[in-house]
Amino acid sequence: MPIRLTRRGALGGAAALALASCGSGDPPPAGRPQAGSGAGLLNSIVALEHAGVAAWAAIAGVLDGEDRAYARAIRAREQAHVERVSALVRALGGTPPAGRPQSEYERMFPRMSDSADALHFARDLEARLVRAYLDALSSLPDTEQRRTAAEIAAEEAEDLAVVHVLAGTAAAPEAFVTGTS
Amino acid sequence: MSEAGISRRALLGGGESLERLLTREHRLEDAYRAALERDAIDAALGETLLAHEREHVRGVEAALTALGRPRPRASVAPPDLGLALAGRDTFARFAIALERETAAAYAATLATLRAPKLLQPLGSIMTASAQHEVALREALGVDLLASSTARGVSTE
Repeated sequence: MPIRLTRRGALGGAAALALASCGSGDPPPAGRPQAGSGAGLLNSIVALEHAGVAAWAAIAGVLDGEDRAYARAIRAREQAHVERVSALVRALGGTPPAGRPQSEYERMFPRMSDSADALHFARDLEARLVRAYLDALSSLPDTEQRRTAAEIAAEEAEDLAVVHVLAGTAAAPEAFVTGTS
Repeated sequence: MSEAGISRRALLGGGESLERLLTREHRLEDAYRAALERDAIDAALGETLLAHEREHVRGVEAALTALGRPRPRASVAPPDLGLALAGRDTFARFAIALERETAAAYAATLATLRAPKLLQPLGSIMTASAQHEVALREALGVDLLASSTARGVSTE
């Protein structure tokens, strides 16, 4: 049976690809942290979070009313995550990557023509962020790095739950949040 | 101390952390069960959260088994549960606090646990606790995010 590609499915796939590519063109860190310090992984997370900040700005532009207010609140939380993870990189003697102009990110985002598109993109974005932090737990060598990753993973899961509510679905649909949806 | 000795000590400490997490999960399970019995939570939401907590209990029990630790059997009801069952709003606030404390306990465990294969599943449970908080905030009719000003409502 041929696989039917729906518009929503294509949008989700595009979102995943866009987010996967965000950060891949960033220059290597300018500092010189020790190998195995976790700086490389933390820098890749900072790059992803920069993309997340830009994505939520774009999502807020499509939503309105209370949904837009939530999008802006989540964007502010992502910005706080950028700063928190960047501080870990600096503590290792590294230089975290700077964000790119909003327009550069937006070229990589899927086209969002209505709130359903925006919330679909938001769901994929937050699922990816949850997964990035949970995946990082087994690779980060330092207790404080891991605690930060775990705490931010919990916040990303909250953001994902808010997206679920805005989309009219259950806030906590599964007993285990893996970020694989 | 030898590397094997350090590893044994780390796993022992990890087992104790997991036992504390299991106690927390049992408390949440007991709380949702009691809330359903007393109509202190919307039935559909309560059933969902109770089902999740049962799965979390099984998950933490499996993690304990993986570390070679016996499952602790005693379950202690959460402190102040009786008062919290007075009404739906009261219970929702009580459960939010319980879920938040549980998520924080998971984060502390994940920071120190030296069992790489357990980190992802335990993290997955922790993030579910965070989502439970949002579900309870929605039921309470307050800002979905504790730190958000989306509705300009303080929930604490």
